Amino acid sequence: MDKKMLLENGLLAQYVLGELNAKDREQIEQLLASDAELKAHFDQLEADFEQLGQDNAIAPPAAVKSQLLDAIKSSASNDTKVVHLQPKNNTKWYLGIAASIAAFLLAGSFWMYNQLNDVKQQLQTVESNNTELNTTIEVLNKELQDTNTFYTAIVNPDTEQYILKGNDLLPEAKVVSYVNHKTKSVVINTERLPKLDADHDYQMWADVEGEMINMGVISKDKNLMTMAYIDHAESLNITIEPAGGNDHPTVEKLVTNVYIN
Amino acid sequence: MQDDSRLIQQLKDKDERALSLLYDNYSGAIYSVILKMIKDEGKAQNLLQDTFMTVWDKADNYDASKGRFYTWVYRIAKNKTLNVLRKTDPLIQTDDFSVHTNKEDDAISIESEYLELNGAITTLEAHHKEAIELVYFKGLTHKEAHQEMDVPLGTFKSYVRQALKQLRTTYSKTISVLLLILNAL
Repeated sequence: MDKKMLLENGLLAQYVLGELNAKDREQIEQLLASDAELKAHFDQLEADFEQLGQDNAIAPPAAVKSQLLDAIKSSASNDTKVVHLQPKNNTKWYLGIAASIAAFLLAGSFWMYNQLNDVKQQLQTVESNNTELNTTIEVLNKELQDTNTFYTAIVNPDTEQYILKGNDLLPEAKVVSYVNHKTKSVVINTERLPKLDADHDYQMWADVEGEMINMGVISKDKNLMTMAYIDHAESLNITIEPAGGNDHPTVEKLVTNVYIN
Repeated sequence: MQDDSRLIQQLKDKDERALSLLYDNYSGAIYSVILKMIKDEGKAQNLLQDTFMTVWDKADNYDASKGRFYTWVYRIAKNKTLNVLRKTDPLIQTDDFSVHTNKEDDAISIESEYLELNGAITTLEAHHKEAIELVYFKGLTHKEAHQEMDVPLGTFKSYVRQALKQLRTTYSKTISVLLLILNAL
């Protein structure tokens, strides 16, 4: 028996498996002791066999172990022996590796979770920005619509312009009114109307055959506004009334008027 | 697989704790081999206990320079199991000590999962897997196993050799993957 034969004949495997007789075993042990390369090969083979066994391990019932330990205690009961309790770290290496993988996955999950939270936060910011933009667009649209309405009303060729100039009570006042008899609309520009206190409002009236008919209270926060169109109006008048307007005009508080052709 | 040399020295010094820890490390693998050979849970548990009793009593006989501790325990377990099989098998053929004749006909009830194989061996080709299963887990000699598989002994030996080579590749791959993961951490 020599090294070559040993490697080619599968005898090492049979040796590990305990199949060989005493004579063969002895020869192999001598060869192994004298040949490092062969020994390395043998070590590998043994390690693989052991791994194969561990791969297929089946946990025996716990009772077997306790019986075993009881048996050796009773067999060695006359020995007085000190058992050293050594805290040897005996954790199986593959448990360590499993734990490492678990830790790796845990770290990965944690990282992903953080990423997810970041993305969620970003999404929220984008959403609130979006809402804000939408609101702005809505406001702008409304304003554009209003402006368009005024614009079409003012530039209409049928629209006539009347200027209400302030009388002695309010000489600096000037209101421009745009009246369209065809579309029956009235738009006024109150830019030059002096500000009133909170308790009073300007109110507009149409004079129809001597009777003053309400055209509406003039808003304090708008420069351009639409008033009610009154048929057969002979003049447009503006009075100062208590806040919110009045049912009948307070004639002594008339600040301006203009006749309509 | 791990450095047990200190535990084994303590075992030789009759340290029960060392036996307990070595039992924890090896009893699963050994129990599996015994079960697959004898196919009887009660007998397998007795044999397992008996095996570790021998490990305790004969620890001084173990020579680390001649091989791994696992290999030593494996051989003890296998021999004890074969002895029981020979005693109880009425069909024993004394000329070649075969204990496996008509084995498959024995209707011994055992959870089938105990006979299933796990790990790298399952990735082998069927005939390679069977070859390893026969000599490693069923305790057949090469001579019995090649008859069982009905192939010439030389062919059978090359099955075993190829199977072992394949296992070696799988295990070294597993280890390098694990090392990669550990490095990544």
